[in-house]
Amino acid sequence: MSGHTAARAVRRPRSVTTSALVVLWLVVPLVPLVVWAGTSRWSGTSRLPQDLGLRGWDEALDGGLLPALVRSAALGVAVALVATPLGVMAGRALGWHLLRRPALPSVVLLAPVVLAPFAVAMGLDVVVLRLGVPGEVAVVLVLSVFALPYTTFTMRATYLGVDPALEEQARVLGANARQARLRVTLPAASTGVVTATGLAFLVGWSDYTVTLLIGGGQLITAPMLIGSSAAGSGNDPQTAALALAATIPPVLALAVFAFAGARRRSAARS
Amino acid sequence: MRSARLIVPTLLLGAAVSGCAAPSAPAGSASETRSWTQITQEATGQTVDLWMYGGDQQGNAYVDDVLTPAAAELGVTLRRVPVADTTDAMTRILAERQAGTQDGAVDLVWVNGDSFATGKQADAWRCGWSSVLPNMTYVAPDDALVTEDFGTSVDGCESPWHKAQFTLVYDSARVPVPPTTIDGVLEWAQANPGRFTYPAPPDFTGSVFVRQVFYSTAGGADQIPAQFDQAAYDALTPGLWDALDDVAPSLWREGRTYPSDSVALDRLYADGEVDMTMTYGPATLTQLVADGTFPATTRVLALDEGTIGNASFLAIPSSAGDPEGAMVVADLALSPEQQAIKADPDTWGQFTVLDTSLLSATDQARFDDLPVSTVVPPYDVLSRDANPELASSWVSRLDDGWRRTVLGSGS
Repeated sequence: MSGHTAARAVRRPRSVTTSALVVLWLVVPLVPLVVWAGTSRWSGTSRLPQDLGLRGWDEALDGGLLPALVRSAALGVAVALVATPLGVMAGRALGWHLLRRPALPSVVLLAPVVLAPFAVAMGLDVVVLRLGVPGEVAVVLVLSVFALPYTTFTMRATYLGVDPALEEQARVLGANARQARLRVTLPAASTGVVTATGLAFLVGWSDYTVTLLIGGGQLITAPMLIGSSAAGSGNDPQTAALALAATIPPVLALAVFAFAGARRRSAARS
Repeated sequence: MRSARLIVPTLLLGAAVSGCAAPSAPAGSASETRSWTQITQEATGQTVDLWMYGGDQQGNAYVDDVLTPAAAELGVTLRRVPVADTTDAMTRILAERQAGTQDGAVDLVWVNGDSFATGKQADAWRCGWSSVLPNMTYVAPDDALVTEDFGTSVDGCESPWHKAQFTLVYDSARVPVPPTTIDGVLEWAQANPGRFTYPAPPDFTGSVFVRQVFYSTAGGADQIPAQFDQAAYDALTPGLWDALDDVAPSLWREGRTYPSDSVALDRLYADGEVDMTMTYGPATLTQLVADGTFPATTRVLALDEGTIGNASFLAIPSSAGDPEGAMVVADLALSPEQQAIKADPDTWGQFTVLDTSLLSATDQARFDDLPVSTVVPPYDVLSRDANPELASSWVSRLDDGWRRTVLGSGS
């Protein structure tokens, strides 16, 4: 026991350094954004902004930032709702080797990551229009296909670490198949499910091409505002404000999940 | 946008495919037979989705705060869809065309040049409507800038929105004695190594700069046939490539690399890395100076030989779901009142497409009373000796030629 504690004590300082590096890795790219988002006038020749102010935020709000964030969030949630359960099922089949020939399904599930969204959207928009699928529904379905590889492979890794015998034990103790899955296996895989949900959410939250081309401009989301603002000269404060507004919510959510996860793990240990 | 480069060939491919496979989509060439009263009645209650480049804050604000409320008074809801590049709208329109959609998501597009030509080739525009707009009476019928769009005949398939003039811009604090000809600009660049560059074609602005140099090396715009001609290309372009090759080693970073687009060049100019920039949209200059992006000493470079001018337009796709509403908005945008508000540098500063001599005294006064920008001269000064645009078939060939001949010729 004491040897174990000693090992943890040795590991701790390194993990603090690692955490600091990770935080730095996340924060450093945001510094210019934060500065630009608080700047009203900054001509390139001077080292520091001449005027601080909220011009960028005013313009971003005028351009419809808040409704766009709400639409982005709704799209992210919808994609997560479709792609996570499918990813859990596929990840379970692959992780527990329930398929006789796993190569083909793996390739099919991975393909959307390899293909550029643009190439897929290019052909799919005509198909979607011919079928008469409403734009919003089509966007969610197509983005779910893009999210599926992330959820599947996260869940595959998770199920590789969960012993299938756990489910059998629950069955022996009297649970039916459904109960065993929902009450025993899924809680054991919950960290993976949270990660998979987060990844699927990000696919919907951050997409430009599919949302515009397949959605037919009906869903004006945060990435569309960022893309069009960045395409013009002199929009740096606004682009920075938009980009920050689109970055902070997922980073916050990540921090909360990481913190909650760490607490739960330490609670379980003690 | 990097993706834009992929889009153009894909668009052409899409256009070719749709030409063979398109089911009975509405023909783009039918002309308008309904009366204007009928059209306005059908327009009432429609929602018009206007797809436009969203990188111009003043343009966005004008559409949201001025045009949209005015359209609402006419019973039409105007909804702006911001895109990073007009080719995004073209991709959607061609997909709708290919799928035979009748109630498409794009009702109106801010467009000109290559995108318009591509759409016209693919029969993707509703045509014959713009000539029946009541406010077309204030547009001079013989104005080549509004009857032709980069050499493609307009044919009532789009309605003029505003005029633009290719403009070279310099910092008068760093260039006390500016050159006055394109030839002089290239000489100045060689005398001041590293202080000048231009965006790499096919960027819109870099591409027009190359054409402007082409006019200079060919001995004037009238030496080049407006429609592409292989013999003229073979005879005239060697001089152009020589001039650009000669200047390349003196450009920013010795011409080994070029800014990818006009936003990148503007940033170099704003950062003081180069002393000149250029734009096909001088309307944005007033605001860029006012908000401190560009130095206060920014001035427009007047060229003795004049610069290339064009007009941009509002077009209605043949797949538009609310074409009557779109016509009402296009007519509204062409009204003397809207054109005058838009021409105010404090609003947007875009040059009118109207012939002010055709206006009533009251409407003329709206234009006479407009405040003058401290940066951008009035249109009649800026467009003095304006050169016409070349056909878009020239544009793509020159862009290709530049890539093969000039790119990588720096030291």
